[in-house]
Amino acid sequence: MEQYILLGRVGEGAHGIVFKAKHVETGETVALKKVALRRLEDGIPNQALREIKALQEIEDNQHVVKLKDVFPHGTGFVLVFDFMLSDLSEVIRNSLRPLTPAQVKGYMMMLLKGVVFLHHNNIMHRDLKPANLLISSSGHLKIADFGLARLFSEEGDRLYSHQVATRWYRAPELLYGARKYDEGVDLWAVGCIFGELLNLSPLFPGENDIEQLCCVLRVLGTPTQDSWPEIVELPDYNKITFKENPAIPLEEIVPDTSPQAIDLLYKFLVYPSKQRCSARQALLHPYFFSSPLPAHHSELPIPQRGGRPPRQRLQAPPTDFSVDLPLQNSVVDPALLQGHATCL
Amino acid sequence: MFHNSSQKKYWIFPSEDEVEHKRSKANQKVRSKIQENVKPGVSDSMLLERHEEDVLFRHYEKRLLDFCNVFKPVMPKSVVGTAIMYFKRFYMNNSIMEYHPRIIMLTCAYLSCKVDEFNVSSTQFVGNLVQESPAGQERVLEQILEFELLLIQQLHFHLVVHNPYRPMEGLLIDIKTRYPTLENPESLRKNADDFLTQAAMTDAGLLFPPSQIALTAILNSASRASLSMESYLNECLGLKGDKESLSKMYDSMRRMKTLLKKYEFPKAELVNVCKQKLERIHAEFGISSNKRKRGYEEDGHVAKEARLAEEEEWTDEDLI
Repeated sequence: MEQYILLGRVGEGAHGIVFKAKHVETGETVALKKVALRRLEDGIPNQALREIKALQEIEDNQHVVKLKDVFPHGTGFVLVFDFMLSDLSEVIRNSLRPLTPAQVKGYMMMLLKGVVFLHHNNIMHRDLKPANLLISSSGHLKIADFGLARLFSEEGDRLYSHQVATRWYRAPELLYGARKYDEGVDLWAVGCIFGELLNLSPLFPGENDIEQLCCVLRVLGTPTQDSWPEIVELPDYNKITFKENPAIPLEEIVPDTSPQAIDLLYKFLVYPSKQRCSARQALLHPYFFSSPLPAHHSELPIPQRGGRPPRQRLQAPPTDFSVDLPLQNSVVDPALLQGHATCL
Repeated sequence: MFHNSSQKKYWIFPSEDEVEHKRSKANQKVRSKIQENVKPGVSDSMLLERHEEDVLFRHYEKRLLDFCNVFKPVMPKSVVGTAIMYFKRFYMNNSIMEYHPRIIMLTCAYLSCKVDEFNVSSTQFVGNLVQESPAGQERVLEQILEFELLLIQQLHFHLVVHNPYRPMEGLLIDIKTRYPTLENPESLRKNADDFLTQAAMTDAGLLFPPSQIALTAILNSASRASLSMESYLNECLGLKGDKESLSKMYDSMRRMKTLLKKYEFPKAELVNVCKQKLERIHAEFGISSNKRKRGYEEDGHVAKEARLAEEEEWTDEDLI
């Protein structure tokens, strides 16, 4: 610990506080993630073990955070990472105007390169979401938080937990309780992130697990045995039925988007996991080779960590709002403003 | 993948001598620690010689294997293999006189379950210590959790262990698909499995990559059935004409077989003599327990303040 000077608190990670610090010897700025062993029931938390395991065995990759060191400290230990300024969720939250098509492409390309690398190393991340995609001071995107990551080369008879992934990015097979699944869960999440970058709002913002499934079904249409043969084998398939509805064209869900982007999005948001476009294939999609070309990392926004998002973006739109209502119904009564207007 | 693993980088050693050298050094270090700091003038004969440590190591290693083999629910082979590798790696740089193998072996098994995603709860884990009372199990669990951090540190946080079981499956599949000359490849499995079980009790895992151990297991099984697999090596594994690789590989295989042949399970009387010595050392000098016992009290009340101070080191106030 003496090797580092603490500079500030960055935030709360899945298993402990994250600090910004400076390595005394090299002057490098790093992020220190402290894993405390306070609740001793099961000892060292699995999440921390998974993170070490996944990151220690892979070579460096530009689009995956680097675990620089692990050392014991007090009643636990500390993981040392490159310090990253921000993350994609902040980029999305702080954007006052839509990202340009080139910027979206730039982010998608870096994300997919990272995913190609992980899948090539037999690692399922299982928790891809904007908040886990860190942005460096040079604008590079790096995949982080391997607390749920696991190797998928295990023997076929082992079961996985379906309680993985943050709800909005959770693949439909997980929502139906699948215990055997594959890296397709990451590709689903990639699709969700893609949609979110295009719209600057989450694609499927379900408030609970049931509603999450509703959100997905509303857009992709109720799955049938034709569109998703494996569905009948999923544990929760019989537990819940939804009213049948047809799919909504994605053009309507992400309006003002190029046909190529829509085409790629369709390739990720597919019910059968095996049919989802692999990250490697996706990088060869015409989307990345047509104008505008992916933005260079220096052309991407780098928000400061903890930068205040504009207030109004946090508020949900008024519930009685509808495009069909006369506009004056939903604007503030001018009489209320009068008192303030005079002092201008 | 093995080729960029921490196992290849840090835990495969060039020779048996080097492994032995490390263990002797660990033994020597603790001896001088006791003789200089804990009890000056204690006679050499009270302490464990290197070969006596080895006797105990083999004994507890076997007990670890037995514990894993009767574990309920059934422990996958890779979990067992990883636990045994942890045990070997731990005592490469530590002496049995300092850390009692009884608790280290259980800690190795416990960590291996977690790392290999063989999910059993801690209560379920110690529930497998059938001869212990519930209170006893609780105590053991406390100790395991206490030693877990030490173990993971001594493993240098290198958690992933590549076992030879998967490569063996891979080789069998390869033989079935690309080497039709061999009639019934499955018939090799039984003896190859036995070879791997024996190899796990030797230092093979510290000297050779898992795929080589698996290949040796298969070739060994074939030669016992008087089947020649030379053309498999030449044609399918592309070693034809590569004299250097071939001779290197044959050399490794010979060394591996020697290791297996040399392995001898220590005699019960010898184990008992060494055990008595060990218990006495731990009771009288207790070099590890010194440190550890304080660790326990921290959980209660004694060192709570020290702990709080430590936490404070990490709060915001400190940053100002």
